[in-house]
Amino acid sequence: MRATVAAPSTPRTIAIGPSLTRTTIVLGGGAILVLGVLVLAVAIGSVGVGLDDTVGILAHRLLGLPLAHTWAPWMEQVIFDVRLPRVLTAMLVGGGLALAGTVFQALLRNPMADPYIIGTASGASLGAIAGLMAPVLVPGLLIGAGSSWLGLGVVQLLAFGGGLGTVLLVYAVSRANGRVPVVTLLLTGYAVSAVLAAGVAMLMFLSGQRLGAIFGWLMGSLAGARWIDLAFAAPLLGLSATLLVVRWRRLNLLLLGEGAAAHLGLDVEREKLALTVLASLATSTVVAISGTIGFVGLVVPHVLRLAVGPDHRLLLPASVLYGAALLALADLGARLAGGIPVGIVTALIGAPFFIWLLRRSRTLRPVVVP
Amino acid sequence: MSAPVQLDALASLTGVSFSYPLPDGRSREVLRSVDLRLPRGELVALVGTNGSGKTTLLRLLTGILRPDAGDVSFDGRRIGDWRRLELARRVAVLPQQLDLPVGFRVAELVEMGRAPHARRLFASTEADEQAVIRALADADALDLADRFAEELSGGERQRLLVAMALAQEPDLLLLDEPTLHLDLAHQVALLTAIRRLRDQRGLTVLAVLHDLNLAAAFAPRIAVLDGGRVVADGTPDEVLRPELVRRVFGVAVDEALTADGRRHLALRAP
Amino acid sequence: MSSASAPPSATVGTAYPVTLTDDAGRKVTLSAAPTRIVSLAPSNTEIVCALGACDELVGVTDFDSYPAQVASVTHVVVGAVVDVEKVAAARPQLILAAGNGLTPGPVIDQLTQLGYPVLSLYPHDLNGVYADVSLVASAIDASPAARELVLGMKAREAAVVSAVSGSKSPRTFYEVGVYQGAIYTAGQDSFLASLIILAGGRPVTGDPVTTAIQLEDLISADPEVILLGDGAYDPSVTPATVGARPGWFAMTAVRDGRVEVMQEDPVITRPGPRIIDGLEALAHAIHPELFH
Repeated sequence: MRATVAAPSTPRTIAIGPSLTRTTIVLGGGAILVLGVLVLAVAIGSVGVGLDDTVGILAHRLLGLPLAHTWAPWMEQVIFDVRLPRVLTAMLVGGGLALAGTVFQALLRNPMADPYIIGTASGASLGAIAGLMAPVLVPGLLIGAGSSWLGLGVVQLLAFGGGLGTVLLVYAVSRANGRVPVVTLLLTGYAVSAVLAAGVAMLMFLSGQRLGAIFGWLMGSLAGARWIDLAFAAPLLGLSATLLVVRWRRLNLLLLGEGAAAHLGLDVEREKLALTVLASLATSTVVAISGTIGFVGLVVPHVLRLAVGPDHRLLLPASVLYGAALLALADLGARLAGGIPVGIVTALIGAPFFIWLLRRSRTLRPVVVP
Repeated sequence: MSAPVQLDALASLTGVSFSYPLPDGRSREVLRSVDLRLPRGELVALVGTNGSGKTTLLRLLTGILRPDAGDVSFDGRRIGDWRRLELARRVAVLPQQLDLPVGFRVAELVEMGRAPHARRLFASTEADEQAVIRALADADALDLADRFAEELSGGERQRLLVAMALAQEPDLLLLDEPTLHLDLAHQVALLTAIRRLRDQRGLTVLAVLHDLNLAAAFAPRIAVLDGGRVVADGTPDEVLRPELVRRVFGVAVDEALTADGRRHLALRAP
Repeated sequence: MSSASAPPSATVGTAYPVTLTDDAGRKVTLSAAPTRIVSLAPSNTEIVCALGACDELVGVTDFDSYPAQVASVTHVVVGAVVDVEKVAAARPQLILAAGNGLTPGPVIDQLTQLGYPVLSLYPHDLNGVYADVSLVASAIDASPAARELVLGMKAREAAVVSAVSGSKSPRTFYEVGVYQGAIYTAGQDSFLASLIILAGGRPVTGDPVTTAIQLEDLISADPEVILLGDGAYDPSVTPATVGARPGWFAMTAVRDGRVEVMQEDPVITRPGPRIIDGLEALAHAIHPELFH
């Protein structure tokens, strides 16, 4: 948006907000990147399927083009039933985590905030691990793999409920006199997380043979991604992402501080609740299908702020796009490295990156104190 | 002057009392049956000791706080009847200081002041853009438009805050001790600008100030708060008398006349 | 407790289509005899080969070591991670998974959703192994071979049981591992415990869930025979080093010199056809006086 000043002297233009060019480059580039990564990640895997066959399969199944099958049925299965849902899930998860991370960093005015900070991770972990352990702790209970509700496993439902429930608990505990101070929210989240983490540790101690499964869940993994998981996650993420992206103006206002935001007409407490619920909904959805994948929600917002600026008008949609592309790439790396949990890859890349970011301290403190 | 809603005043407080709740369950009474009228177009300074309730009074006028007793009204309606967004289009606050997020340009921050008026989802309207430019021009901050907020000096930051408040296109401008961190030249510049804006835009202004002489120099009317009550309300000549100053502020002052015939209060050396 | 069900007669060939119930209670239908089999656990591989269908294996794990000819089969499980793409590329008509979470539940779900018949095997005792052999045989139409195999195994089992029947059962402690001071052994009511009982011992058992036992409990249980399963893999675990552990020297087994490394641990802990070898090895170790 550029406006011309009808000033007495020479007219000049003033840039207000991101220009159309920059918006196009950032978001258009992001979309193209997502598409490119999609094709790349579906084309490459531990089993070789030719690129021509890959494209053919995708065109045939996704676009309905009646092509002659130059490929074997098992190739179609690998591309369409194994890789494609996994890559799409990676993108959904990456986009959701990056978006939630951006929102929490603005809401809590804390550059170290990630999507799990007020308890989602520990609550979801406890729920999921309880689900994983239930057949062991309650012998004869045939739940877990094989039993499901609406196609979703018990583990996923418990993870989703655990994550969301914990955040609401933390929020309720932090409320005093109808207000929820941000610092209280952070500290309560930390305390509740610690308690739940102790529960997780206890279950891990009792886990015996299941320790591997538990560890895989905690590290975060996209293996076993199914279309049914996408059917569950996509609408929820789409809803929360849409409702969050349109809130860019309110997030900008919150950066000015709650007092100034209120003077500018924002119902601060209600907005904080809405943001918390929406971002936690996105996070819990994502954690339910992929476990607790770290660093994406912490690092992507910071990198984008460096590249794109702190205006949430551009930052929020950009975080969805670039977070999606990043995690799909990381998952490709995880697959090629022998099927290790993708959370290990994001940690190995994310941690050094974050240290590098720390040295550029300017963006790490999103607010300057006069 | 006892009707609950004042029709000819832009804003008013009538019989307003307010207490802050304390952690141990008791409460601290801050305002006791305060009456204050703000007619349209007036520039009023609000002075008083620390803790006398000046900031609380401002917060009651913005609707952030609700009175325990009495009425606060704006433009003919009780404050409680206004929706927050509606009120933000009419009332702006110029704070002492503001957290300024890193990476935003001055023009973008001023545009945040348009938030109460924003209609479109992602873009600004023509009207918004014109309002931003006008605000920058009136605040004498056009030359700062492309600069990053974190690079500004103290005085430049002050002009930014003024522009942000003006972008709201308010009818009522509330200043919360805006001169607290400014040096003398900037204090004068700011208050001169406020006077000019009041004339240019037809603003009504209530300025909380701590410097009595500054208030006397710039405000045609001064209200004095002491112990939660308005103990004086009138022209500087009427209000700033040594007896009152000693009673309210606990310091002894002498009166003097400036070269242009205005009253000036001088601290007596201890 | 195995809940595998076999077709009407173990000597007649399988009539396809056939619906079988695996150890996890899942019902799986096979429309024809599978000629391409993927095994996700070494014990399953051994069962398939013992039934004479080794040539039909198109995917195994990197842990599979027996028989020798499986070394040339593609590894679809590497480092305990199931590579679903490789499984799909092998075009299996039957997948044999490991139950109780050893093959992760989500993986079994995914393979099932991809349309593959997956039988999950998890025996709790010897009878469970026999049932699993019969189950796999029903699936691949090898029932006569299974009958023969199981009869042979049962005969050897009976031989061991009768050989030790007259003797007093010594308190037997089977060491699975010692990590950071925690001692792991046969859990209460576990498969290993049942084997020790059959071999004529009285097992000193650990917690049914964690399989751990506290040192104090072990000392008070005072085993008469100590069998070092971990000694088969870790050269630092020997009768001498074990006897030198604080608190262990007072145990009867140590004083009597009845501490022995169990080199046969791989077959004792693998619930496949060679489990009987393991049973015999246990009986020899617990009652050396009976077997020469």
